[in-house]
Amino acid sequence: MTEKILFKYIDQPDQYKIDTYIKNGGYQAVPRVLKELSPEQVIDIIKKSGLRGRGGAGFPTGMKWGFVPKDSSKPRFLLCNADEGEPGTFKDRELMQKDPHQLLEGIIISSYAIGANLSFIYIRGEFAFEANRLEEAIKEAYNKGFLGKNILGTGFDLEIKVHRGGGAYICGEETSLLSSIEGVRPLVRLRPPYPAISGCYECPSAVNNVETLSNVPHIIINGAEWYAGIGTPKSKGTKIFCLSGQVNKPGNYELPMGTPLRELIEEYGGGIKNNRKLKAVIPGGVSTQVLPVTKVDVKLDFESLIEAGSMLGSGAVIVMDENTCMVETAYRLVQFFEHESCGECTPCREGTYWLSRIMKRIVQGQGRMEDIDLLLDLCDNIFGKTICPLGDSVTIPITSTLQHFREEYEYHIKNKRCPVERK
Amino acid sequence: MSKPNDTFTVNIDGQILLASKGLTILQVAEENHIYIPTLCAHKDLTPFGGCRMCIVEVEGMRGFPTACTTPVEEGMIIRTDTAQIQKVRMEILQLILSEHTSSCLICEEKEECREFQGTIRKVGVTTGCRYCSKDGQCELQEVVEKLRLRQINYPIYYRHLRVEKDDPFYDRDYNLCILCGRCIRVCQEIRTANTLTFKQRGCYTVIGPAYDRSHLDAGCEFCGACVSVCPTGALSEKTNKWEGEIEQKTTTTCPLCSIGCQIGLLLKGGKVIGTLPAEDPLVNNGQLCVKGRFCITELVNNFHRLKKPYRTHDGIKVEISWQEAIKLAAEKISACPAEDFGLLISPNCSNEDLYIAQKFTRAAIGSHQIDTSARVFYGAGFNAYLDLMKMSASLSDIKNASLVLCIGLDTRFGRSVIGVEIRKALKKGARLFTIHPREHNLALIAEKWLQPVPGTEVDILNTLVNLSEEKRKAAPPAKSKWRIKSYEDELSGLVEMLKKAYSPIILLGSEFLQYKESPQIYEAVRKLTQKVKAKVLPLPPQNNLFGSILSGSYPELLPGGFSSTEEQRLKYLSKKWGKNLPAFSSGWNAEKLLAGTKLKVLYLIGEVPTGFRPPADFIIFQNIYPPAPFFEADLVLPSAAFTEVEGTYINSEGRIQRVRKGVEPPGEALPDWEILCRIAQEMGRKGFEFSNPCEIREELSNLIKGFDEREIDERKINPLICEGKFVVSRSGLPIKKKDAKNFPFLLTASSVEDTYRGFPLSLWVEGAKKLFAEGILEINPEDAQKSGISQDDEVIVTASSFEETWRARISKEQPQGILHARLFPFEKIGPNPHAVRIRKKNA
Repeated sequence: MTEKILFKYIDQPDQYKIDTYIKNGGYQAVPRVLKELSPEQVIDIIKKSGLRGRGGAGFPTGMKWGFVPKDSSKPRFLLCNADEGEPGTFKDRELMQKDPHQLLEGIIISSYAIGANLSFIYIRGEFAFEANRLEEAIKEAYNKGFLGKNILGTGFDLEIKVHRGGGAYICGEETSLLSSIEGVRPLVRLRPPYPAISGCYECPSAVNNVETLSNVPHIIINGAEWYAGIGTPKSKGTKIFCLSGQVNKPGNYELPMGTPLRELIEEYGGGIKNNRKLKAVIPGGVSTQVLPVTKVDVKLDFESLIEAGSMLGSGAVIVMDENTCMVETAYRLVQFFEHESCGECTPCREGTYWLSRIMKRIVQGQGRMEDIDLLLDLCDNIFGKTICPLGDSVTIPITSTLQHFREEYEYHIKNKRCPVERK
Repeated sequence: MSKPNDTFTVNIDGQILLASKGLTILQVAEENHIYIPTLCAHKDLTPFGGCRMCIVEVEGMRGFPTACTTPVEEGMIIRTDTAQIQKVRMEILQLILSEHTSSCLICEEKEECREFQGTIRKVGVTTGCRYCSKDGQCELQEVVEKLRLRQINYPIYYRHLRVEKDDPFYDRDYNLCILCGRCIRVCQEIRTANTLTFKQRGCYTVIGPAYDRSHLDAGCEFCGACVSVCPTGALSEKTNKWEGEIEQKTTTTCPLCSIGCQIGLLLKGGKVIGTLPAEDPLVNNGQLCVKGRFCITELVNNFHRLKKPYRTHDGIKVEISWQEAIKLAAEKISACPAEDFGLLISPNCSNEDLYIAQKFTRAAIGSHQIDTSARVFYGAGFNAYLDLMKMSASLSDIKNASLVLCIGLDTRFGRSVIGVEIRKALKKGARLFTIHPREHNLALIAEKWLQPVPGTEVDILNTLVNLSEEKRKAAPPAKSKWRIKSYEDELSGLVEMLKKAYSPIILLGSEFLQYKESPQIYEAVRKLTQKVKAKVLPLPPQNNLFGSILSGSYPELLPGGFSSTEEQRLKYLSKKWGKNLPAFSSGWNAEKLLAGTKLKVLYLIGEVPTGFRPPADFIIFQNIYPPAPFFEADLVLPSAAFTEVEGTYINSEGRIQRVRKGVEPPGEALPDWEILCRIAQEMGRKGFEFSNPCEIREELSNLIKGFDEREIDERKINPLICEGKFVVSRSGLPIKKKDAKNFPFLLTASSVEDTYRGFPLSLWVEGAKKLFAEGILEINPEDAQKSGISQDDEVIVTASSFEETWRARISKEQPQGILHARLFPFEKIGPNPHAVRIRKKNA
């Protein structure tokens, strides 16, 4: 196992305090960046490191920053997306809880890179503890001179504000997040214009995930080549996998990109609970396709998972054993998306409602054979036809379970009960 | 040949089309008559992309982009109608219909059923499933027909939302709503009122004001813009929801205030069934306020309209023919000495009516005793107001202003068109200041709201004037504890801004029009305007005040703004009209009417003195509605409303605008000018042989500039030229010493300004009863609590000079210690403010 990067000091009880953080080598990247590097050089380093967004889409971070215009007369903003709402994902929470200064350091460097003097951490309202801890950490950083006016005498100013969300999954989508920060209903915005050109308050903005930003100080200290040396050729660095479900040791595991899924489950997760058999895995949060047990040898990186018919997403690995009914799982997930649909566009608003109704019918043993085609039809109508990816996400649990576990649906419909014998 | 950079070609469905940068695919397709179904798109609103009906395929783009949101790019290859798109559209349409009651759309019996429907109203017999008032005008229905949808694979999910009918003027049935968001966007983008938003989420999404407030509480202006853009029957106007499709549209001018908005009368079966804003860039720019949008239909269609002339014999009403009526009127007037005749005409009448009325008084009777209620309204300040009107700016100056100072202006219900223009200016970076004693809609968006205690506004304005002079004089000392002490810092800041601003404008609303010190207030406004080189736009509530001055409908004024004391002009007119006009002597006028001067014959055209019978032997009452029963008008003549006549009004800018006839008058009602001409002819007077308003205008154009037909059509602004002056009584009552112990409250009263021809709108328009109530006393909740008064209690208000009873309305907008009464027209308690005490009746 290679060295941990983000979780190196995660087990130290006082790591959230600035003194411990500095003792462990923290806040060394900030002076180096502010005093020695130009913003362009920082962006270059990040580009070379191959760091990709850890929020789900995997967009190259350096490239994203490069889109923010340097000569704009408007102020620029860096937004940290800490609205960790994807079911099964809990990595950002731990990062903010146990090592908030690592994130702040990343924000300072990234803000410098895009030329922002104000940065928001958009944190979901439920994370009250983490929000308080971040606010404490920001205070400490101000006192030590890492934030505020004229940071470390370099002339660079930065304010960080913690913005607590009101509670909507959709706020994790970057344009809704912008609307939410502005104080309006978090409707997804039409693109173009992209946030890099016209984002928060119609000013150039970059939105990055907590994990992404936390990686930044380490890349600066250790160099782009070091970071690019970890992981696979196209997916660099380490990734925190949130292992949950029926495994013996669920939790966050930081592993290099490209670690096989089986290794994660068996070696790190201690195998399936009660020695049951593995049935299926959702490898990247509920918006990604279910993988059946046959594909469990896939490597966990962006490309391999796509090849296997799924996505890395946010790295939330949900493990299901033989006692799990896939139809019920899909129904539960559809319910989640139905509840979180914002109601802006027709296919998602009406489609989620009908998907959920039809799934309910099947689960309750009142399904009809035509329902399967109706489901597929509906999914086809929603996928790719909505404004934001939430519409796509809702179809994924259904289409992927139907692809791999169609017989369970048929069993439900024919026998009016669940095929899974619960041991 | 080189093309400009921003024009290029795109390929839509195999057609090579010219497109320019910035257009969306939908816009290019529409320009070229390529049909793409849409529901949420609207030409005046920003793209939303919510309904997803307009999806298309673009080569090289992933998935199905929406035509309404995707900008065209050079060389784009777009397909709008492939089999796959058709299929997806059909599915999306089904999804929309799955929560929209839709039997009218896909019923198999639809065609046959329609033939046997005698009516689309709700009636007791089966006539088809007509539960939606938009049937036949519904955009959803149109899309269903165009796409030929025949069946819906999903069951219908009825949302069981309560139909909202509590607010005035329009009903909301969100079970029919397809969440296209047009109403929200028009409210936010065009009206900038921000009343509506989406609430809840997912399939529970509904539209309405945030936090479940009523529209009235949420600051809705009831402009009806949302109703106009709604594609389905979700929003419908109470008055005309079951009227069906319109047959014809006529553009005319709204008579309900001096802005002179251009409105489209929607006509069907010889009846006005609705009004919509006309697309008119000069005045209202496609906007209307609640009065123009919703009140007119009911106002002109009310079944109480006068249809036949009648006379009253010992309190008994006897219908007579026009012939008899004219004869009776002519007899009475002929027998009346000139000095005992008085004619009161409403400034709501057209220029033609006003001109004929004054010609009738001067040439047919030989008297100058013609007047309007404006004299009573403006009182001692009439001359000062006249001076301001001469300086009037244009409405388009508002949106180009860099600083807007509103004095006594509230734009929530009336004049909301001005509010829209102000907010547009604010969006461009203008600054807004407002002076008003009560909380009002502009106070929420103004940079500074100066809230004078009634009686101190003149101090504020005088301080502004003093500060704007080169040499700074000390501000007048605070006179008593009622006076607000130090606004001075803010005021000097405001003056500096006014001076520096490159295009400041001062808007004068109607709050301070009836104050004890209003002459001084107008005077101060005029001085301030000149000192800081600002523009000023007085917005009188009387729609044709300008016209009444120009046409000479006052004893002191002759047509064209000449003074009646000018002998040469009198001679000129005498020659023109073939009748020796008498020299002017100040005799009877509207104030004398209130004072109780007795006349032999009083002729009321569109004026309704309330609460008493004016002192006269014989009263001719000419209006569109009957007088109150106790009034006992001796002869009642039915006139035509503005929707039934041709004519012109002049708005506050000085723009002559046409009034066009949409429908025939009800029963035997006639235009005012025609009645007057017939009486004059019956009296044997010459010079009244007009057969239509055009001929009157021809005569007018010889006396007043701008009345040439061609010039009217140009709708240019003609500044008010008026040499004459009103004879005004100096404000009568001396300012009494404040007696804070006995009279702890200050009362301001405003004569109702939402009137048409002397009648308050609330009398004939159901919804207006809620918005513009008369005879009420507004009181702050805390004051009410202290005095033990609750909502709708009768409250006795006592001042040293009067005691009145009004109904209480508890209103947070009212500051503490200050009361506000809304009076009926002609109800008068003297100029504001009054020191009063209150107590609950029967307590």
